[in-house]
Amino acid sequence: MDGDLTIGGLLGQAAVPRDTGVLEFLFSPEYWTGAGGILTSLWDTITLCAAVVVVATVLAVPFAMFLAHKGTGELTVTWGVTLSRAIPTFAIAGLLVPLSLRNGWGFEPWPIFIALMLLAVPPIYLNTYTAVREVDRGAVDAARAMGFSERNVLFRVEMALATGVILAGVRVAAVTVVATEPIRAFLGGDGLGRYVRDGLGQNNDNLLLAGAILVAALAGLTGLTFSLVQRFALPPGVRRLTLQRNR
Amino acid sequence: MNRKTLRLLIALLAMFGLLAAACGDDDDDASGEDTEASTDAADEMADTADTADTDDEMADTADETAGEETAGAVAPDGPTIRVRGQDFSESVTIAEVYAQYLEAKGYDIDVLTPAGFRDEAIDGITNGDLDLIIDYIGSAQGTLAPDEPASADPDEVVATIGPLYEEIGSTLLDYSPAIDGNAVIVRGDYDAETISDLAGANAVLGASTQCFERPQCFPGYTDPAIYGIEFADTTTIEFGPLLGEALAAEEVDVVVWNTTAPQIAEEGFKVLDDDKGLHSADNIAPIVVNSVLEAYGDQLATDLDTLSAAISTEDLIAWNVETDINFRESDEVAGEWLAAEGLI
Repeated sequence: MDGDLTIGGLLGQAAVPRDTGVLEFLFSPEYWTGAGGILTSLWDTITLCAAVVVVATVLAVPFAMFLAHKGTGELTVTWGVTLSRAIPTFAIAGLLVPLSLRNGWGFEPWPIFIALMLLAVPPIYLNTYTAVREVDRGAVDAARAMGFSERNVLFRVEMALATGVILAGVRVAAVTVVATEPIRAFLGGDGLGRYVRDGLGQNNDNLLLAGAILVAALAGLTGLTFSLVQRFALPPGVRRLTLQRNR
Repeated sequence: MNRKTLRLLIALLAMFGLLAAACGDDDDDASGEDTEASTDAADEMADTADTADTDDEMADTADETAGEETAGAVAPDGPTIRVRGQDFSESVTIAEVYAQYLEAKGYDIDVLTPAGFRDEAIDGITNGDLDLIIDYIGSAQGTLAPDEPASADPDEVVATIGPLYEEIGSTLLDYSPAIDGNAVIVRGDYDAETISDLAGANAVLGASTQCFERPQCFPGYTDPAIYGIEFADTTTIEFGPLLGEALAAEEVDVVVWNTTAPQIAEEGFKVLDDDKGLHSADNIAPIVVNSVLEAYGDQLATDLDTLSAAISTEDLIAWNVETDINFRESDEVAGEWLAAEGLI
């Protein structure tokens, strides 16, 4: 049994032959299982991306909501917009790798985690801030007039009405993170990017293409999943409201 | 910034050269003078640029043109030679050394942005994108003739791969005494002296993605008929200083790097003995496309052989110290070495 495991591992480390076709690679069970298999890579990618998006949401949403409720920090939004378009994720991760190694934290997960966090926070923060600010002032005033406390105004009116747009922000962040995560394979990690990396490094165009297809498919699937969440998780009233605003 | 200025200058020089060549076409004797005149003008340009920006590179460029002028005689006449280094610092510096040397001799040189590794370089000379590459002969054998037995004798390696380069329309010129082979490297305190010692060590291997494919690398180490090593795990790391960082940080126990990596001495790493002779002799050697070689006649081959003979393994290590430890630009390092050796 032990020997079997080692052999499985070696298969995973060996290069994929260049004459393997794109479809042959994608549809052969042997490439899906094992140490370097697609399933393992998929799992690596999904767990890291999920962790990044969850932590980014937990950090960004309350902070943005609080600021938006207070009506301050307009400048942070402008900043956020600029920043989110200017962050060189690969450079940041690349700079962090030697630092992390010298401190004994290894290749993973900190460098890539931090780099992806910087990518995920701006859209979530921006959408949350804007969504809360854009909540119908009439509804907020009505709530105040009815004797809602400030906390209740924030949680039961502003947040409830903003949920749709906040979720849209999380969705943008998630898709971006999934599509960017493959850079980790170039920085001592694995995940779905390993096929792109090996395809490039070993001059294997089919593998490169298959890797790109896998990454794109996962990013698309992520977007789709969030659409479904937005569709079914929101209360009908809020959903109708979000739809009306979009119209 | 400085590189940009330099490139601009080189581009201007090239334009000037073309103009002069075009003007002097009707009279062969005059063309020689014209070129001289143009280098004079270029020299002045370099000088004015020099006063604006007192940079070593600038001074080097000025020196080069001045050297060309004193060498005087006949400027070699032929097509532009396109050179490209592979995408790691040593190869980039080597490409710069050959390019700057030839440029100083009056050849028309175009140094392309470093890209890819051996496969891309060989593709480049095969399909006409490149005219000159400088490669490590033993590793080239691993790519061109993976089934031929490895040899520690460079002449045997050349006998194997020379005809294969002929087949793709290029010529392997004399190899240099400078050697940079694959090296299996461990930390100084690691309990192994030969690659065979790794067989039972359950070590974690760090290597570039190319290594996992090349017969003289990972497949050779794991092949039961050769070394038969079972690695506990592997990590794919970009070829370069990151390999050393990972080894020093104990992220991996073994890395596959090259014998001239300056970090070996710097960090007290240990190169394991290739006791089963998997690695071939890895001297560097230039490979030139035949059409270019013929266009320039014997002169080009003679010039390249002179340069190759002047480079030593110690030079390679010294260049790597400059580029990888002191973080200097390859073109500067190359220019300084050529000047110090009196080659330009």
